[in-house]
Amino acid sequence: MPENDVEKKVADRYLKREILGEGTYGVVYKAIDTKTGHTVAIKKIRLGRQKEGVNFTALREIKLLKELKDPNIIELIHAFPHKGNLHLVFEFMETDLEAVIRDPNIFLSPGDIKSYFQMTLKGLAVCHNKWVLHRDMKPNNLLIGSNGQLKLADFGLARIFGSPGRKFTHQVFARWYRAPELLFGAKQYGASVDVWAAGCIFAELLNRRPFLQGDSDIDQLGKIFQKLGTPTPLLWHDLEWLPDFVEYSSQITQPWRKLCPTASDDALDLLSKMFTYDPRTRISVQQALEHRYFTSIPLPTDPAKLPRPAPKRESHNPRTSDLNDGPVVLSPKRKARRVMSDREGFDGNSFQVDKVDERGGEIRWAAGDNSGRNEPVLMSVDFSVFGSKPMSRPTINSADRSHLKRKLDLEFQHPE
Amino acid sequence: MAANFWNSSHYKQLFDQEEVDVVHPLDKDKGITLEDFKLIKMHMVIPICKLAQQVKVRQRVVATAVTYMRRLYTRKSMSEYDPRLVAPTCLYLASKAEESTVQARLLVYCIKKMYSDDKYRYEIKDILEMEMKILEALNYYLVVFHPYRSLPQFLQDAGMNDISMTQLTWGLVNDTYRMDLILIHPPHLIALACIYTASVYREKDKTAWFEELRVDMNVVKNIAMEILDFYESHRLITDERINAAFNKLKP
Repeated sequence: MPENDVEKKVADRYLKREILGEGTYGVVYKAIDTKTGHTVAIKKIRLGRQKEGVNFTALREIKLLKELKDPNIIELIHAFPHKGNLHLVFEFMETDLEAVIRDPNIFLSPGDIKSYFQMTLKGLAVCHNKWVLHRDMKPNNLLIGSNGQLKLADFGLARIFGSPGRKFTHQVFARWYRAPELLFGAKQYGASVDVWAAGCIFAELLNRRPFLQGDSDIDQLGKIFQKLGTPTPLLWHDLEWLPDFVEYSSQITQPWRKLCPTASDDALDLLSKMFTYDPRTRISVQQALEHRYFTSIPLPTDPAKLPRPAPKRESHNPRTSDLNDGPVVLSPKRKARRVMSDREGFDGNSFQVDKVDERGGEIRWAAGDNSGRNEPVLMSVDFSVFGSKPMSRPTINSADRSHLKRKLDLEFQHPE
Repeated sequence: MAANFWNSSHYKQLFDQEEVDVVHPLDKDKGITLEDFKLIKMHMVIPICKLAQQVKVRQRVVATAVTYMRRLYTRKSMSEYDPRLVAPTCLYLASKAEESTVQARLLVYCIKKMYSDDKYRYEIKDILEMEMKILEALNYYLVVFHPYRSLPQFLQDAGMNDISMTQLTWGLVNDTYRMDLILIHPPHLIALACIYTASVYREKDKTAWFEELRVDMNVVKNIAMEILDFYESHRLITDERINAAFNKLKP
């Protein structure tokens, strides 16, 4: 049939390379677009076993990404059916913000943090201007391209929030980024849920570790109140009317200076406005972008000059191209450092020991080489690398979380 | 009207009447006239509505499904894309896109219950295959704006938000999907045209209110004229006429 010929022709445009990862609804692989010469990431959407056609979450992502074209939002370049499966072609992204935050070899200057966070908010502002809630803001959904541009990705939980009074599910976001109104079961909410999550990302950038790490929904609220104080009806009028409201013992607010010791006064002011309890008075993304933090010195770093994890060195390590590329890319030295930093890193400054001039890939590679003799000892404490850190990140689905994988895929499918 | 309509794909994809009124060459070869073409599209709104009632989805899903179907036929022929399969598949796709998913299984079951006619005997597999083809033909643009959202705000502003007026205008908006208006005009203008039509019908003078709106009233009036023309011609359509049009589609 001529139709199949056309289909084949389209599919032939892309030269398949290695698999980048596997998500709930399909495989993501790297490919070369022979038409443009660009590297792309192709998400192959498996048709469900339940005979339900194109996966619902995939359809959501396609629908919204076709409307959201912006430098700070991942580009859906193309979509095509091939052999009964739908293929989504995305621009290829080198790394993500989680990898940047977690990389102990990276020093983030205040200007770098400002730049990464500004791009995050810019992408989010585009969504909100178009009445789209992202609902899954977290560092590993913020992808970073080879030019340093940060882009929002993973719109599988996103939806349009135009009609007033529509009820949504509160089971959105990875727990650590979930706003208190969602944790209290609110079904009617707005753009402010994304703002809270963005605030968590901001604090994580500043402190270089997740800001509010609860291990259950109840504990998450506890962690929030422990740092930000227990909200009172005076601060948050509708609080007691929320479906899952439970009373917590009263905790006093800790000073922001103590919570983020390295941040500037402007940064702390912005943070406190993003963490306002009452969603109605919480700062909007647009207001946040206009906050003086972004215009005060130091100015945001030019994206092209932002520090990023060194590119992986495939040729040196054939295992990196394995299908289930786990944490093999990390050299032993880096793994070891990472654990040490995590352990003693609670003052938020320890990463700075690594200093800026060590950013170059070659220096680090050399550093990695001469770490050999310490390896056995350090490896024994290094239980973090293989996915069982003392506190694992509460991704909705923790199946694969390697730095190699471009998190283009959804992690979670939620029936509305 | 939400500010985002103006930078939506829907706005960018609005057609001129002349672009919509093109019969695909493959259909032309079968003797389908422009009138047949319009008649078939109009008629296929009925099974979509009926099916939607059976599977209990919102009016908005119906509106989106009809829009998908009408957009599809600006690009594809009815000979290759059988309207009797396209209609339920558009409803299926729209239910997903509008966040109120209906199972394909349920749709097929309802179709079989509704029609004894063999021509409607489609299986789940057919719907899923057609879904992919429709997605491609729509170039994956799925967000559609409708007049329903702005309607209550306009009615309230015009002081016409009583039950009878609301019902009348809502019904008029539903009927606009029997025409290609949603492909051609911004939804808020369609809403205004329905209000205009209703105010004329109920003999309520709302000229002053319309004049205060910063919209091109000529466009609104033209849409209202088209709506009235539709009701006029609709009375003359017979089942024989519709069957004759469908019969031309036979291979």
